[in-house]
Amino acid sequence: MTVASNVKQMLASLKGIESQLSTFAINSMDEEAQRKFHEAMVMVGEIKNDIQLRVYALEREENEYSSS
Amino acid sequence: MTAIDVILRAFLFVIILFVTAKLLGKKHIAQLSLFEYIAGITLGDIAGEVILSSTLKIHHGILGILVFGIISYLADVISLKSKTLRNVIEGTGTVLVEDGKLLEENLKKEHYTIDDFSTLLRQKDVFDLSEVDYAVLEPKGMLSVLLRKENRPLTPKDLNMKMPKEKAPQTIIMDGNIIYDSLKKAGKTAEWLQLELDKLGVTLDNVFLAQVNSYGELAIDIFDDKIKLATPQERPLLLATIKRVQSDLEMFSLQTDNKDAKEMYSRNAKKMTEIQELVKIYLEN
Repeated sequence: MTVASNVKQMLASLKGIESQLSTFAINSMDEEAQRKFHEAMVMVGEIKNDIQLRVYALEREENEYSSS
Repeated sequence: MTAIDVILRAFLFVIILFVTAKLLGKKHIAQLSLFEYIAGITLGDIAGEVILSSTLKIHHGILGILVFGIISYLADVISLKSKTLRNVIEGTGTVLVEDGKLLEENLKKEHYTIDDFSTLLRQKDVFDLSEVDYAVLEPKGMLSVLLRKENRPLTPKDLNMKMPKEKAPQTIIMDGNIIYDSLKKAGKTAEWLQLELDKLGVTLDNVFLAQVNSYGELAIDIFDDKIKLATPQERPLLLATIKRVQSDLEMFSLQTDNKDAKEMYSRNAKKMTEIQELVKIYLEN
């Protein structure tokens, strides 16, 4: 297992969390719960973007090693 | 007086008593005050007597019930308007324990022995008088007990725990029929319900009872008790995933040699902890 594949796996988990949070944000009947779930969803989205960028960087590095 | 007579009279008085009780309302069923108690037994007695007696006339019975009904009703209306009359009609509570001290005078005034009082306390699951801070004998003879603070059941508030606000679950399927009113209250559609049932692999007419909770999760009971259904696990599972990703982020930040990446991982690990704190109370239980 390379570092990149581990990070990618976490990226997939983050996407799962984000979609679950959005489901709960929509389905919850209490408004405060809806708001909290939504807030958490946005924050997970930000983390997801950071990790996505890291995945690109790692892929680039790995390609450089394999091609050289 | 024949058997047919009794049957007919019984039917008639069932209807009359039913209508009277309906008109007088819930308060009379609960029999909270002295007056409702008297009215309750008398109405029943009048009906019983007239049904079984050949000498008593039906319309006399109806008249008696009517008078008692009207007086009860008037008493209700009057006690709504005046506090003084309310005290007379409905009675007032008698304080039996104040600041942990038994008030013997009041006990005597109500003709209660210490044994009667102990019995009432025990019915409230209190066996030790020293646990009681305040106790009132209600007009209808029930005892209401306030325990000392240290003897009251522990609540989340005592532990400074934050609890999520939860709405009452809505029952959306009964006996295989969809209750559309409740479905609307829960903010769901019939299509959503169909989808959820498909996910669980059951058909609508197999469902005896289905409730949707505050988080939009569906809990169902089916007619066939041998089949085991999965209970909703999504929320605890989500919390577990959040915790796992958080620890992964921390681990990556320790493993990497890249300075920027290290900073990014540890910043996001902190953020993940914040997220966990934000939704934890909704995902536990």
